[in-house]
Amino acid sequence: MNRFLGRILWAAIAATAAFTMGAIAQSRGEPVNSMWLVIAAVCTYLVGFRFYASFVAARVMALDDRRATPAERLRDGHDFEPTNKWIVFGHHFAAIAGPGPLVGPTLAAQFGYLPGFLWIVIGAVLGGAVQDFVILFCSMRRDGKSLGQMAREEIGKVGGFTALITVLLIMIILLAVIGLVVVNALKGSPWGTFTIFATMPVAVLMGVYLRYWRPGKVLEASALGFVLVMASIFGGQAVAASPTLAPWFTYSAVALALALIVYGFLASALPVWLLLAPRDYLSTFVKLGVVVMLGVGIIFLRPELKLPPLTRFVDGTGPVFAGKIFPFCFITIACGAVSGFHALISSGTTPKLLSRERHVLGVGYGSMLLESFVAVMALVAAASLEPGVYFAVNSPAGIVGSTPAAAAATITGWGFPVTAAEMNTMAQDVGEQTLFYRTGGAPSLALGMAHIFIQGGGGRALLAFWYHFAIMFEALFILTVLDAGTRVGRFMLQDLLGQISPRLGKTSWMPGMLGTSAVIVAAWGYFLYQGVTDPLGGINSLWPLFGIANQLLAAIALCVGTTILIKMHGAKYLWVTCVPLVWLVIVTFAAGWQKIFSPIPAIGFLAQADALAAGRQTADTAALIFNNRLDAAVCGLFLILVSTILIDSIRVWAGILMGTREARTTETPFVPSRLAEEL
Amino acid sequence: MKALFRRLVEVVSGVVAELSDQNAYRRHLAAHGVAHSPDEWRRFQDEHWQAKARRGRCC
Repeated sequence: MNRFLGRILWAAIAATAAFTMGAIAQSRGEPVNSMWLVIAAVCTYLVGFRFYASFVAARVMALDDRRATPAERLRDGHDFEPTNKWIVFGHHFAAIAGPGPLVGPTLAAQFGYLPGFLWIVIGAVLGGAVQDFVILFCSMRRDGKSLGQMAREEIGKVGGFTALITVLLIMIILLAVIGLVVVNALKGSPWGTFTIFATMPVAVLMGVYLRYWRPGKVLEASALGFVLVMASIFGGQAVAASPTLAPWFTYSAVALALALIVYGFLASALPVWLLLAPRDYLSTFVKLGVVVMLGVGIIFLRPELKLPPLTRFVDGTGPVFAGKIFPFCFITIACGAVSGFHALISSGTTPKLLSRERHVLGVGYGSMLLESFVAVMALVAAASLEPGVYFAVNSPAGIVGSTPAAAAATITGWGFPVTAAEMNTMAQDVGEQTLFYRTGGAPSLALGMAHIFIQGGGGRALLAFWYHFAIMFEALFILTVLDAGTRVGRFMLQDLLGQISPRLGKTSWMPGMLGTSAVIVAAWGYFLYQGVTDPLGGINSLWPLFGIANQLLAAIALCVGTTILIKMHGAKYLWVTCVPLVWLVIVTFAAGWQKIFSPIPAIGFLAQADALAAGRQTADTAALIFNNRLDAAVCGLFLILVSTILIDSIRVWAGILMGTREARTTETPFVPSRLAEEL
Repeated sequence: MKALFRRLVEVVSGVVAELSDQNAYRRHLAAHGVAHSPDEWRRFQDEHWQAKARRGRCC
């Protein structure tokens, strides 16, 4: 009877998923409530988890709780420790959730909410969650080895080295693009700038508090930090209202970019306990808290989507970034659908904490579904804005016109009515001087979130507070990624240089540490500077580059996963990883090719360089031409690196399937679990 | 219902303890057979973050 009821229940969930998806896809002309998206997403996730992920867990991976995990076998009280599955889930989710699933869907909303929504949900169920799940499984069966180590051991030395270089390059582009998001959110905003500047002494204070005043009291220090950061939001309001203080915190994009570069260097070079550790604790708690708040807000307040399901910009002429839905929607939304970066987390700490093999299912697949839901919420927040407002905030002056009146006229001419007076009122409501040309996604997401939060109480009087709260939240954890990423990039560079000279590889050698920090900061700083001086706003060139890089890393991870599945089962289940791999290769190579060779200057780097060379020459023209050619070269390098690992992988797969190569796997032998007996 | 709520509180506090490194510190103390002290915390912090700072944060 129970089985029968279960089948009825799952049939109802599957039918609801299909019906709501169909209703969203068919909806034209009338406003759609966000609950349709929430229900469609949740039901699809449930069906994906219950049927597809369970199938992969049982048949493909053959997860076996009788087999001891690395956490049990190698338990050391430090890295390897059997941990409750929900705690591992929370830990893993906190590690994979970054700014990407918030910013990407906001930018892709220029196509309308439909393409982004479908890609986020379907991409996560069939691609992103599968990637995270498979890599976590592979790493767990290999004593928690990293993606690079698995690539080297399962595919070959070429694959391993290529993976390492690709990760380092991706890190540089990632840091530049998220830096650009912060700069665009803070330029000309004394309120936002004061609040974010204040988080730095707050983090240092927390660091000293934890180190010397109350050692070990992390929650206490985090609570203190949170109170001070909230106070800094109110302080920012006072600063913005003060004619004396406001100019001290009003900066241009270039000045903020330089400040960020200096900050990045200091954060990488300072002792970790002073800045990185306390900021990491604070941003993790704030991030999780805001995600919960946004989820509760959307579910209880059910905002209406004001953006249409599809906009005219599906034709590739969008102002936020240029390019058609295919392939650009699929690289703009990386985190939230498929993110290669997750493979680094899935082969990092998480596999060392799993106490039972079957926990891989909930932790690997389930966490990615939750991240996908965060992306859906960000999309809802952006799509609940009036379309005219959304485009006024996200369009660069180079496209819509350099005065508010010209920008409003251009956007209204596209069929999305907005006036300069309306934007001016909204800017005053949120305590900003202007909301035009605030590209990068963070300000429009903050506006959307603030509009949702004020419906919960407080009305428009609290709009400015919630807007700046959202900006603080986004900037806080973007800066944490920036701090940590610079340091990680420095370690990776030191590892590489250590092969040449052991001294350069020593992290305790001060000149080496400072030199490699400077190299990493200079690398992402250059791209950040390039972004803020780009007449098209920077996001148009850097975000696609980042999306391509991140998806190519996913392709590398899926190459590793496919190799291991072929070694386990031959060709029988290779479709599990091969289907998302083929899709990602098609999407990223198409996007990469267009970004390099498209004859349309707004899309193709080389075409833009040629157009600049043929146009009126100014003092900056030579630099802009060089930057476009450099971006084309970086994009080309990404494609070459991934082609290398792909060809190497195909060579290995063909050898195994044709029987000319031994299917030697590095999986650790079966050891019976004593925890399973206890359980 | 009460049991479910208690379980929820346990899980949330467990996640918070993991994210705030309280669990890791407890394991460190147990592994080294020492009691909490300011010096021990600083030693833990240095060792723990030396490894943690090498791990990338996701985008």
